[in-house]
Amino acid sequence: MSNPWIAVGALALVGLAIPLSMIAISSLLRPSVPEQGKRAVYESGEVPTGDTRIRFNIQYYMVALLFVVFDVETVLIFPWALIYSDAVAEFGLGPVLGPMLVFLAILVIGLGWAWRTGAVRWVKSERAEIKTQL
Amino acid sequence: MIAGGLALAPAGAFVLAALALFVIDAFSPGKTSGGVLAGVSAFGAVGALAASGVFLLSGAASGGIELFGGQLVVDGMSLLFTFIFGSVTALVAVASFDYVREMPHRAEYYMLILLAATGMSLMASANSLAVAFVSLELASLPSYALVAYLKGNRGSVEGGLKYFLIGALSSAILVYGISLVYASTGSLLLSDVADAAGEAAATYPGVFGTGVLMIIGGLAFKTASVPFHFWAPDAYEGAPAPVSAFLSSASKAAGFVLAFRILLVGFPIQSVVGAIDWVLVFQILAVLTMTIGNFAAATQERVKRMLAYSSIGHAGYVLIGLAALTGVGGASAGATVLGASMLHLLVYGFMNTGAFLFVALVEHWEIGRTFEDYNGLARQAPLACVAMTVFMFSLAGLPVGGGFVSKYYLFAGAVGAGVWWLALVGAINSALSLYYYSRVVKAMWIEEPIEGRTIAHYPTALYAAVLTAAVVTVFLLPGLVVFDGAAFDAAAALL
Amino acid sequence: MSVIYELTPAIVLLPLASFALALFFGAWLPRRGAVVGSLATAGTLGLSLATLAWLLLTGEPHNQTWYTLVDADATFDLTFGILIDQLSAAMLVIVSLIAFLVHVFSLGYMNDEGEPGLPRYYAGLGLFTASMLAFVIADNLLMAFIFFELVGLCSYLLIGHWFTEDAPPSAAKKAFLVTRFGDYFFLVGVVGVLVTFGTAGFAGSEGFPVLAEEAIAAGETFFGFGAETWFSVLGLLVLGGALGKSAQFPFHTWLPDAMEGPTPVSALIHAATMVAAGVYLVARMYGFYALLPTVLAIIAFVGGFTALFAATMAVVKDEIKQVLAYSTISQYGYMMLALGAGSYVAAFFHLTTHAVFKALLFLGAGSVIIAMHHDEDMWKMGGLKDEMPVTYVTFLFGSLALAGIFPFSGFWSKDEVLFETLIHALGGSPLLFGAYAMALAAVFLTGFYTIRMVLLTFHGEPRSDTAEDPHGVRWNVKFPLSVLGVLAVIAGGINLVPVEKLSGGSLHVAFLEGYLERDVGLLTHGEHYSELLHDHAGYTSAYVGSEVTTLLLGAGLSLGLALLGAGSAYGLYRGAVPTRHTEKLGGLRTLLMHNYYQDEYQVWLAEGFTVRLSSAADTFDQGVIDGAVNATSSVSLSAGSRLRRIQTGIVTNYAALILLSLLALLVVFAILGGWL
Repeated sequence: MSNPWIAVGALALVGLAIPLSMIAISSLLRPSVPEQGKRAVYESGEVPTGDTRIRFNIQYYMVALLFVVFDVETVLIFPWALIYSDAVAEFGLGPVLGPMLVFLAILVIGLGWAWRTGAVRWVKSERAEIKTQL
Repeated sequence: MIAGGLALAPAGAFVLAALALFVIDAFSPGKTSGGVLAGVSAFGAVGALAASGVFLLSGAASGGIELFGGQLVVDGMSLLFTFIFGSVTALVAVASFDYVREMPHRAEYYMLILLAATGMSLMASANSLAVAFVSLELASLPSYALVAYLKGNRGSVEGGLKYFLIGALSSAILVYGISLVYASTGSLLLSDVADAAGEAAATYPGVFGTGVLMIIGGLAFKTASVPFHFWAPDAYEGAPAPVSAFLSSASKAAGFVLAFRILLVGFPIQSVVGAIDWVLVFQILAVLTMTIGNFAAATQERVKRMLAYSSIGHAGYVLIGLAALTGVGGASAGATVLGASMLHLLVYGFMNTGAFLFVALVEHWEIGRTFEDYNGLARQAPLACVAMTVFMFSLAGLPVGGGFVSKYYLFAGAVGAGVWWLALVGAINSALSLYYYSRVVKAMWIEEPIEGRTIAHYPTALYAAVLTAAVVTVFLLPGLVVFDGAAFDAAAALL
Repeated sequence: MSVIYELTPAIVLLPLASFALALFFGAWLPRRGAVVGSLATAGTLGLSLATLAWLLLTGEPHNQTWYTLVDADATFDLTFGILIDQLSAAMLVIVSLIAFLVHVFSLGYMNDEGEPGLPRYYAGLGLFTASMLAFVIADNLLMAFIFFELVGLCSYLLIGHWFTEDAPPSAAKKAFLVTRFGDYFFLVGVVGVLVTFGTAGFAGSEGFPVLAEEAIAAGETFFGFGAETWFSVLGLLVLGGALGKSAQFPFHTWLPDAMEGPTPVSALIHAATMVAAGVYLVARMYGFYALLPTVLAIIAFVGGFTALFAATMAVVKDEIKQVLAYSTISQYGYMMLALGAGSYVAAFFHLTTHAVFKALLFLGAGSVIIAMHHDEDMWKMGGLKDEMPVTYVTFLFGSLALAGIFPFSGFWSKDEVLFETLIHALGGSPLLFGAYAMALAAVFLTGFYTIRMVLLTFHGEPRSDTAEDPHGVRWNVKFPLSVLGVLAVIAGGINLVPVEKLSGGSLHVAFLEGYLERDVGLLTHGEHYSELLHDHAGYTSAYVGSEVTTLLLGAGLSLGLALLGAGSAYGLYRGAVPTRHTEKLGGLRTLLMHNYYQDEYQVWLAEGFTVRLSSAADTFDQGVIDGAVNATSSVSLSAGSRLRRIQTGIVTNYAALILLSLLALLVVFAILGGWL
């Protein structure tokens, strides 16, 4: 009788029983008042327009990608900066500073190229320009 | 012996060339001349090729040089494969000069090729599962974009998307496998994995075995082995032909080098055979891949798609290298057949690249894709057709090019390792392959030319790449001996 | 190495050069190549004589690899080399002498008669001679095989010289195919020898006969057989080639047909080259056969049987060359018998004398044929002795030699063969009595048909207009006839063993025996063979009474039988107008005229059996094999198009298939790996 699966099974049963019983009990207790507003996806007072499958402007992705570049850079620089003094003391300046400079240089080249090719230039779509003119 | 940093010179050449392109293109984005772009790319690829060739043939890295705490290793095998990547990349870069001459985003095209090549050369050197995964992704992500390079072409975009989706699925499988192996062995470094593999296989055979099998699945995607090959025909056919050449030659070789390294170094068959007999897995994969690749190729109507399937068939031949490591015949038999696989990939790098570049030439002329469209082409482009004939017959294994020698080594090695039936299946499939390869030759030389077809001009760079590939393919018939010592040594070092 | 051996390749190269000259420049050469050919063979004869003399005087043999065809490190090399020992030196002289005389005779037979295609003819003769000489000096079995085949090819070309007529091409094909059938076994034997011993050299302690001897002594096994059994298989395989070339039963059928070729070619084929090649091959590797009693017994029986069998057929033939053809088969039977009965010296002795008198007889027959304007039927001849005395006298000498009448050369050699067979039979090999009896019976028949032939051709009254006024012949016919006529009388003198024995050993006149038995360090001498025969085949000698008694008894018996045969022929066919007695034989005559239906059964084998088998194989190939191939390709293509359908182009299907395959693999390997 010491099979641990019995406990697991019991837990699963209880896990299923609780939500089912809550739904069942509340449907017994509450009054039923059907209303249009209650069927909305979001009951936040706003009336939803359009469907959920809309296209975001590609420029958001460009920015997001650039953000990831710097995010990773930061993640890597932080611990490096924390141990920098100790590491220099132990290994000398070159082996500690050099790789990080190479790493940053690669990122800078990438950033520079992205900048030059217009990745950070916010281009307004024709429709948006028409809206602002109105 | 060479200094640690210098050992990365071949990979470094790719990286530097890629960064140089970033800088050059940043001056006047989109307006850099194609000659400069192709030149820098080819220069970097030839640099990688030369560095790896020199290191390889001088035996400078014969013992294997470990870098970054064993995360990377530079040895005979990694150099041999970097040599392959260098040569394929150089051919593709030169050929692309004409192919993408009129197209937008040329700079990005070359950058992606070089970055993918960087990833491949790192795959060849990867000595831990983490590096393996990262470098595999570095090679894969540019490939997806490259396949979809022809943005206005439906086939190209569709192929790219399929490649990406299946690639993402396979990456998931691979990384899940890696996590299972890590869970059971407690390490990502291949040498440590190997040490712990025996115990892990005995203690958690299910977890460990599933992990290994999933890693094999992830790698089989990269090598386009059946049943993980579905992306390949669509991607190869849709992609620009030079990209198809690059993927089917270099990318496939990269998948194989990673498979060789991970399985032979990380999961020595003696320790893991109790949990998972991966030699048997590869025997199944090899037979399936050879057979399905060749049979499907036989019924294609379009030359490029036929080449795509034939490239799957060739993956099957190369898989024999892993499938024949039965231990019969001792270490030397194993080294022979594994070395033969590497040599086949080397020869394949030239003859298959050349064949796809010939297709690129035909696409450049815009004269159609089916076998019938090739009818009588030899009257108008005899030189290129001679080269294509060499590629076809060498791929089929006739003694006009190095393909004969490497295939002979493979089958003889398989027989020597006691898996004669694999060699038999390979030989039967080779015989079948002669049928569809010779269809191309027949169309070019024997059929009557199509009326009214004219070829306005003959692109110099594409011609140069095709002819170079043909000359090297023929040269490798007697010249493969230059490499076979290095390949067999590299294989012996792994076993 | 002495200078004479440096010149040895020239023995072969001279006729080869004449071949090349006649082939390419024949039309412009004097006498269309005859002069060049004669000079080349004369040079060859001179060199051969010098080689023989050198070997006689110094006793220094020559055995050297000359050229390596295939240099294989791991297995064995394939080489060409030169072996000059007693056997090959003597054979060189015989071959080149006959070749020279045939060239000279051809001037009369071919040039004077204005035959077409002379350059081709002399080119063929040159290549024929060169191949045979190269075969003779071959130092290993492979080289011997190659030139053996070339000899066969040349015989094909020469027999079919008059290819515009019906019979010669067919005879040429027959000769080629029948000998090829034997050579097929020979080739397998060569490969077997190479694989077994790693060498095919004939002579010296490195030669395969010596290796075989050692292997038998050491009791080794090959491919699961005992050494002797395996060697017997190899020996029989090689023997297949020898029997085919030497026209021994049942491969003899090609030889009578080969008479369709020009008569000088017949002389060359029968006396010295093609047919002799088979016997020479057995003699060449006698050190090997001497180890194998079973094979020796087979050789002896085939030889004895062929001797008798062919002689019976010769009795009823009407054409002069046909009689000679069957006599050739019969005489080579004697040589095979001698080899099988363990008398190497006697075999070679008979080969020598036969070469002389058979060449003589053929050239004599050629002379008669010239005179008769190419009519060969003996019943249309008669009375030629007065018209062509030189031909008659020499032909008579040759016939007496063939019949084995004392003191002509044939008597000595044939007697030697029979005597050796008899004493070995007495000495504990009773099986040989059977072969001996057949050979003795053949002696009687030989005497009969020979004298019948002489009588019909030269005696009595002319039976046709041409026989009354024959065509004259010139010096170029008479000269070879005279040379050979003299030799036919005296050639027996090279080995007067009976005289030596009768004199109690005081007269040393067994020159050939002494020559062949001399040890020159190559282990190919007669003495060595006698030891091998004694140790391995159990051949010992025993006598009726004393040795001399046996000798006299045997000689008397064979001479008596020969004389009896000759006498009965004389009794039946003398007189001005002989009658056809063959009619009296009745059904037997039909049987003999049809050569025991040998041709018929071989034709049946070829047409009834082989052709049917071939067409069955063809049907099988067309139906089953090609059907299978076609089925394979259509199955492949349809399977291919099925496989294409898996590739739906829908990426979700791909993903599903990949996951399902992975799952399948997982399940299979989970079960195999015992994870569950």
